[in-house]
Amino acid sequence: MYGLNVFWDLMWYFKQEKRRYLTGIALLALVSLCLLIPPKIIGYTVDLIKNDSLSGKRLGSYMLILAVVAITVYILRFFWRVLIYGASIQLALLLRNQLYTHFTNMSPRFYQKRKVGDLMAHSTNDLQAIQQTAGDGVLTLVDSSMMGGFTLITMAATISWKLTLISLLPLPFMAWSTSRYGTMLHERFHKAQKAFSEMNDKVQESISGARVIKAFGQEEQDVDAFKRLSKGVIQKNISVAKVDALFDPTISLVVGASFFLAVSYGSSLVLNDELTIGQLVSFTSYLGLLIWPMLAFGWLFNIVERGRASYDRVTALLKVDDVISEKEEGFQDPPVGSVVMNLSSFSYENSGPLVLKNIHFELAEGKTMGIVGKTGSGKTTLCRLLLKEFEVGDQQIMLAGHDINDYRLHAVREAIGYVPQDHFLFSATVAENIAFGKYNASFQDIKQAAKDAAVYEDIVQFKNGFETVVGERGVTLSGGQKQRISIARALLTDPELLILDDSLSAVDARTEEDILKNLKRKRKDKTTIITAHRLSSVDHADLILVLDEGRMIQKGTHEELIAKPGWYRDTYERQALESMIAKGG
Amino acid sequence: MDQANTKEIKQRAVFNRLLSYLKRDQKRLITAFVLLIIATGTDLLGPIIIKVFIDEHLTPRNFDHSVILLLALGYISIIILSCILNYIQLVLFQTAAMNIIQSMRIDVFTKVHSLGLRFFDRTPVGSLVSKITNDTEAIKDLYVSVLSAFVQNIVYLAGIFMAMFYLNVKLGLFCLVLLPVIAFIMVLYRKYSSKSFLLMREKLSELNAKLNESLQGMSVIQVFNQQKRLKREFADVNMEHNAAWMKNIKYNGLLLRPAVDLVYVLAIMIVLTFFGIKSFSSPVEIGVIYAFVNYMDRFFEPVNMLMMRLSMFQQAIIAGGRVFELLDENDEAPGTKGGSHPFITEGSVEFKNVSFSYDDKHLVLKNISFHARPGETVALVGHTGSGKSSITNLLMRFYELKQGEITIDSVPLSHFRNPELRSKMGLVLQDSFLFAGNIAHNISLFNTNITRERVKEAADFVQASEFIEKLPGGYDQEIGERGSTFSTGQRQLISFARTMAFEPKILILDEATANIDTQTEDAIQHALQKMRAGRTTIAIAHRLSTIQDADQILVLHKGEIVERGTHQQLIQMKGLYFKMYALQQKDKLSEEVG
Repeated sequence: MYGLNVFWDLMWYFKQEKRRYLTGIALLALVSLCLLIPPKIIGYTVDLIKNDSLSGKRLGSYMLILAVVAITVYILRFFWRVLIYGASIQLALLLRNQLYTHFTNMSPRFYQKRKVGDLMAHSTNDLQAIQQTAGDGVLTLVDSSMMGGFTLITMAATISWKLTLISLLPLPFMAWSTSRYGTMLHERFHKAQKAFSEMNDKVQESISGARVIKAFGQEEQDVDAFKRLSKGVIQKNISVAKVDALFDPTISLVVGASFFLAVSYGSSLVLNDELTIGQLVSFTSYLGLLIWPMLAFGWLFNIVERGRASYDRVTALLKVDDVISEKEEGFQDPPVGSVVMNLSSFSYENSGPLVLKNIHFELAEGKTMGIVGKTGSGKTTLCRLLLKEFEVGDQQIMLAGHDINDYRLHAVREAIGYVPQDHFLFSATVAENIAFGKYNASFQDIKQAAKDAAVYEDIVQFKNGFETVVGERGVTLSGGQKQRISIARALLTDPELLILDDSLSAVDARTEEDILKNLKRKRKDKTTIITAHRLSSVDHADLILVLDEGRMIQKGTHEELIAKPGWYRDTYERQALESMIAKGG
Repeated sequence: MDQANTKEIKQRAVFNRLLSYLKRDQKRLITAFVLLIIATGTDLLGPIIIKVFIDEHLTPRNFDHSVILLLALGYISIIILSCILNYIQLVLFQTAAMNIIQSMRIDVFTKVHSLGLRFFDRTPVGSLVSKITNDTEAIKDLYVSVLSAFVQNIVYLAGIFMAMFYLNVKLGLFCLVLLPVIAFIMVLYRKYSSKSFLLMREKLSELNAKLNESLQGMSVIQVFNQQKRLKREFADVNMEHNAAWMKNIKYNGLLLRPAVDLVYVLAIMIVLTFFGIKSFSSPVEIGVIYAFVNYMDRFFEPVNMLMMRLSMFQQAIIAGGRVFELLDENDEAPGTKGGSHPFITEGSVEFKNVSFSYDDKHLVLKNISFHARPGETVALVGHTGSGKSSITNLLMRFYELKQGEITIDSVPLSHFRNPELRSKMGLVLQDSFLFAGNIAHNISLFNTNITRERVKEAADFVQASEFIEKLPGGYDQEIGERGSTFSTGQRQLISFARTMAFEPKILILDEATANIDTQTEDAIQHALQKMRAGRTTIAIAHRLSTIQDADQILVLHKGEIVERGTHQQLIQMKGLYFKMYALQQKDKLSEEVG
């Protein structure tokens, strides 16, 4: 049976939690045994009533037994749930933490290759399927084998094995059909989900394109297209419902057939005095007890099949080893000093297109370097190499006189404050976002960083000031505000090397000037690298690199670069004119 | 307390409104209900037949073959009949629920399209999409799982009681004791278990949001060395989620199946004690005991079902509230004033002292006046944010005008009906938008008045026919993924053809020519020249070279017209336009050199 071996793969966990599982299973077994008592009592009572020999004392003691059984079962059931389900959700917790830790260890390369949505699916749907295997899977396996087994044995041994055999004839059909329906349901459900996501895409498209649709008066046509798609969703859902609706009638049919066989064959046994009527009544009660184990048997297939596939996906994901290599004995302390790059070439993929080629510069401690160039010229890649987000060969990047590869990763990152191009903020307060890299910072320092990044005035304008929640579920900030909060975030850590990666693009000229002034004052003795489109962001730098298609085409100070013809001077003149136009002439 | 009350009232209102949707598929629902009652009735006849068999044949050992055969046949046919009826009614209920959801979805979608752009400006796309799809899906669960399960199970329970009363009124009365006990468990369940379930769901979505955010911002986390802290934070939420989950498991263990099964044994005890005591004084029919025990066996599964569906209820109500909020939105698109329904014949466009603001705070247009006579081209130039697009937005009547007046053929814009405006004003956007469907559909926009001939003419006119006819499917070629298989230029030409197929009187070009290779550029320029001939054109262009022949050029700065005139006049003024022109000449030069 495909999938059942997932229990084997999960054995490490069952072993680890063997106390909970073994106790849980023992309790389950006890419950199964207890449940065998009420049908017996019913049968005895019926026989006594029939023979007119029931005494009040007898009845009282029977009822007492029933009450004790009921309460025992209630208590045991509570505890096995806590034990087995408790263990299964513990597994989900464990795997979820493992995945999260794994995600934090993965290099940017890992994220370039995968969609966040897929990773999310592994962490939600797959974990759920695994949890179900470790919980409901174990339960259905134990229950369908133990509960079913005990009941069968009791029926055959204490009532009549012939009757048992005959009444059971229809039951395998139930296990077979529910398992089959389960598979069909799964397939159709999958299609329904696909149709649903298509409809979702359509709605997304219509709403983003609302302006165009209005401009061409296409509202009605668009509604028609939506009708068709949502009709499809409904049809797929109905086809799910058609299978789903099979379960109950099939179960009734099988159970009904089984009862019919039991009563008709049982009656002939009663006539032959091989059976009492009471035994027949308790026999039908036992048949009722068998329904659940049979259903469970059918479900077991579906649960483990899904669990199998999910567990394989999650373990495969956990095996991915896309980490940045580190030397165990590397320097633990962050580098303080010059930045030197002697890069012959770099590409993201092994034989992929070159992204950077022949980049050489030396940036002394405390100096500022500007990097300019068109979009796609390699500016961001260069920054990310300095952060060791991607690896380069030995001796190509030197920090404070040592190879970047001789430092531990955290040491490199501690030295650097990075303001990325896509200013990503977390769903947290403004203060928490600024203190992201230095979580124990004082409010005084946070405020100062905000002032240095020229975003303080904006923040105090918000209703809740620094306590304003930003991000997906908070207020919407302008691009410029986000950029400046990211700058404050980097400034707060007071890094040895600050890298601003095109981080001033969304702020106006005057604010840019303010920020640059603050940087100059605050970071007199610290190293700063600024990449930009606008030359005004870098014209004060001690060294300026001009990149074009990954190559360094010009290098020098602002004065040197505008003195000679070339990209820098052209751009400078163009931007001067542009800023004049922006000011209105 | 008051707040809780109003919340309750609101939820009730939402629930009633959701119920009122049931009318939309009334016939099917009534059929399903009737079938349900018949099916339940037949289903519950089974134990009674066996009771008759036991009491009248088995116990007295009375074997009248023909009667027994009849009973057996009756039993089998009842099983089969009730199975078939049950299947049909289940499918009918579900189909009705789906149909209702379908019509609700169409309502919401149609509603969204009737809203003005002002509404879209202030509503995030994601939340709107989620209301139309996810929230209606949650409501679907209400109809499909909750309501239908309630009807099914309550009918079944009622049927069992009726059967029990039929068999023995006194015992039936005793069994009524079970109802308050079950109701009590349900109240407890709703109070504790449902709540802990909701809390668990909340924690789960918090957990997933955190994970999602971490994955998106992983590079920031790593660069700032915050892996450890975030791992800790994640583990904390993970713990909280598990604690809530565990609590839910415990409540379920106390209040769900185990509790219901406890009541089951209680019921069996009532039945046995009743007959046991009765047997002390008078004979008891064994068949009746059998039937009662059997009914008790069937009684509790529906109870379990009802309880499990309770927690879905709340989510559906919340989703329903969100959907109705959208359906009640009244920020409608600008409508038509006056009943004259004029037509655009000449294409003369005039702005008189128009000022405009999107948010009623900041003016984006200040006192704009100009007149484009029939056939003339008026070009709008200016820096980003100078107000060019706002002028076309107003002309397309995306927004209601509050100050000043816009007229077409001397008739106020608001007097024209939308279809007239949309068909006589051809908009060509910078980002040419292709709709799902084939090329011909994209040109005719499913308008049946536009024949295939007309489509071909339009494509010919803008010289798009050449590449279209080379496609494997020609005009029937499907456009996949919003036309990503076509080049920007090709998409542009298709959208030109679309504009021309409608034979507009007025053309609105919104930065129609940007980012295209030179060869296509020539084709596009040529097409544009042809399109503009004889049509009033309002053109927004970044590249001044394309509008040098305009009859009038308006230079906008911060919402005001700062310069106006022909290209020559503006060059001679040596103002803002001159500087823009110089800048672009320079770019052109450096491009040619580089």
